Amino acid sequence: MGIRIALAGNPNCGKTTLFNALTGSNQFVGNWPGVTVEYKEGKYKGDKEVTIVDLPGIYSLSPYTLEEVVSRNYLIDERPEAIINVIDGTNLERNLYLTTQVVELGIPVVIAINMMDVVEKNGDKINTKKLSEEIGVPVIEISALKNRGLKEIVDVAVKAANEAKPQSPKHRFDGSVEHALAHIEELCLHSIDDENVQRWYSIKLFERDEKIQEKLGLSADVINHIENDIASCEKELDDDAESIITGERYNYIGTIIDGCVKKASKGMTTSDKIDRIVTNRWLALPIFAIVMFIVYYVSVTTVGTWATDWANDGVFGDGWHLFAIGSADYNDAADEYAEKALIVDGYDIYVEENGSEPTGDFEYPVEDEETAAVEYETASLEDYAEAKAYIDSTEEPDPADYGVWVPGIPPIIESGLDAIGCNDVVKGLILDGIVAGVGAVLGFVPQILVLFIFLAFLEACGYMARVAFIMDRIFRKFGLSGKSFIPMLIGTGCGIPGIMASRTIENDRDRKMTIMTTTFIPCGAKLPFIAMVAGAIFGGASWVAPSAYFLGIFAIITSGIMLKKTKMFAGDPAPFVMELPAYHWPTLGNVLRSMWERGWSFIKKAGTIILLSTIVVWFTTFFGFTADGFRMLEEEEIGMSILANIGKALAWIFIPLGFGDWEATVASITGLVAKENIVGTLAIIYGATGDVYETMRAAFTNASGFAFLAFNLLCAPCFAAMGAIKREMNNTRWFWRAIGYQCGYAWVIGLIVYQCGKCFTGEGFSVGTIFGIAGICVLLYGLFRKDKYNN
Amino acid sequence: MGTVIVVLILAAIVAAIVRSLVKSRKRGEHPACGGDCGHCGGGCH
Repeated sequence: MGIRIALAGNPNCGKTTLFNALTGSNQFVGNWPGVTVEYKEGKYKGDKEVTIVDLPGIYSLSPYTLEEVVSRNYLIDERPEAIINVIDGTNLERNLYLTTQVVELGIPVVIAINMMDVVEKNGDKINTKKLSEEIGVPVIEISALKNRGLKEIVDVAVKAANEAKPQSPKHRFDGSVEHALAHIEELCLHSIDDENVQRWYSIKLFERDEKIQEKLGLSADVINHIENDIASCEKELDDDAESIITGERYNYIGTIIDGCVKKASKGMTTSDKIDRIVTNRWLALPIFAIVMFIVYYVSVTTVGTWATDWANDGVFGDGWHLFAIGSADYNDAADEYAEKALIVDGYDIYVEENGSEPTGDFEYPVEDEETAAVEYETASLEDYAEAKAYIDSTEEPDPADYGVWVPGIPPIIESGLDAIGCNDVVKGLILDGIVAGVGAVLGFVPQILVLFIFLAFLEACGYMARVAFIMDRIFRKFGLSGKSFIPMLIGTGCGIPGIMASRTIENDRDRKMTIMTTTFIPCGAKLPFIAMVAGAIFGGASWVAPSAYFLGIFAIITSGIMLKKTKMFAGDPAPFVMELPAYHWPTLGNVLRSMWERGWSFIKKAGTIILLSTIVVWFTTFFGFTADGFRMLEEEEIGMSILANIGKALAWIFIPLGFGDWEATVASITGLVAKENIVGTLAIIYGATGDVYETMRAAFTNASGFAFLAFNLLCAPCFAAMGAIKREMNNTRWFWRAIGYQCGYAWVIGLIVYQCGKCFTGEGFSVGTIFGIAGICVLLYGLFRKDKYNN
Repeated sequence: MGTVIVVLILAAIVAAIVRSLVKSRKRGEHPACGGDCGHCGGGCH
């Protein structure tokens, strides 16, 4: 039989980093509590007989939150062959509190003092030999990040597991406590063979641990008897039982620290100096806003856009020049040709409209590529003659004449399908459905990767942990806990782990509220449609993508305030304890790995569920019932398609939000399968009648475009995230409440954005504006009404 | 003939995707989140 070694330790002490290093796994590592909420198993790279178990971080074996229960239950019920107690060497005192309890479990323990590289850098000294003697278990210095001491720690743990001789705890409590513990053991624990385990249970019963009372199935008589022992001890020591145990443990730890640790005396560290600015009461929020603006600006508007333009227009478009050699010359030639063609076309339009040739200067329409705004420019008859001569004498520029032209995927597939004489229906399915839909989603991969690089960097360097701390200060003013912000930080990658991270919140009401609001933050899957809206409707305006992030935070804070004032969520916020890790430069490998894990998941999804969705969307877009019966439709007939009919039946819901047409409606619905589907669906539908971006630009105004963005950002998440909500709520009624609230809130925000936004975009005041103002009033009432249920 | 070949290839791709989705579902992953359980510990199952 194999050996199971559990990694137990405080949150954020490096257990998952150690787990990844030992098993070769790629489990997500974060430097805030709650990243690991379920235990994970992996085979040790050096010996497949050894299973390493990564447990959620715990501060003690008296659990308060769900993930702490997971860890304790694993240690008590599964009883691994050995425990590696991972300790953050930079904070020995706090970490040893758990150690004093783990060594009482009757399971062989080996202590791994992690982050020794940082300890040494700080100039601190830990006498591990003496520490080992004091606690009575082997102590090994390691650095999980730098792969130091890893083989040694496993070897020692395996040896301890094979010997199966658990250490006897060296620590003894005050005489009166030991007396009470002996009574408890005698009273109800003598059936347990292992004396160490007896002792651990007796301590827990002394602490009045209800879960242990239940687990042992103690009768009321026995509990009363134990209570008498505890009460007399409490009277003697003039404190409550739990505090007595805690105090004694810390006194014991104090003596160990005094004898084993030598701290280098020094002033403020670099991290402290940075924190004086970054977490400053007045500067913290503006700095956070600037950082996130830059992240989204660069990801979506600059670097990300250059790469995404290449992906969209090149790889999934007509093609591109290799290394961009010849692109500039080709663009100049193409622009010149287009300019002349516009004058010639303008002349023809004039003739068509007026029935005669112009006798002097004439105007011709020019459309702005970014905004689709049509402006009129003036040309003289000489200009026309010159343009006409140019067009007649010049061929339209061919990109292949200017450099090495790499054709895009659609032309390659199209020529392949033409070559084998493929049927038009199948060709349409492949080109207008799969390639257009999946290509539109994959086109955003560069932007996603750039965003994930930034997020990985901010997480790994320690800044995001500060953000949680900053937000706690703000949240607390509104009766919320900063613990609610951790799931939202995690949710920027994917909403599902964000929802799961809510397990770290012990207060059930706060936990449910956090589950309901976590997915408001834009996850990676929402980025493509945010970028699409920004590019198509707002001409690539830099403020759109950052505004989506801040709208998500606004929704979380306002929802928190409003919900907290209801009877269902009233109550004091959960305390938020979090250790701020020292700032450090993340390794390039870690940042790239984190980016790739998230990015690959996005690509995989595009190749599976999105591809299947595009087939369904294409079929329902291009097939429908007409007077001739059910048949494939022409491009101008797609208003009669199956999808159009579904959309039209539901479009009324979105009329007040300004996008009550069937195209936007079905995109919102298919977005429930996966949010990337919004992009895929719009690419298929709008692509059927012309250029996707141009058609989309014509279908939305600025106000309705942003309302569309706001609604799809805040409404119910994808089915996978809904599944996670249902599981974490563990209650169907609560699940529907959550989905209902998200959709309702999104609808109201969309209404306000559209109806009030119209006043600022030149569409003017209308009756609908009154409803928009009413929506603001409802929001303000929810925010500022008297709080009846909280002090 | 060309159409038949393309349709068969397409059907094979769709079948492979459905099979992989079913398999990942059986493994406890959720297809709509990309099945990246390493990232979240399998929150959907």
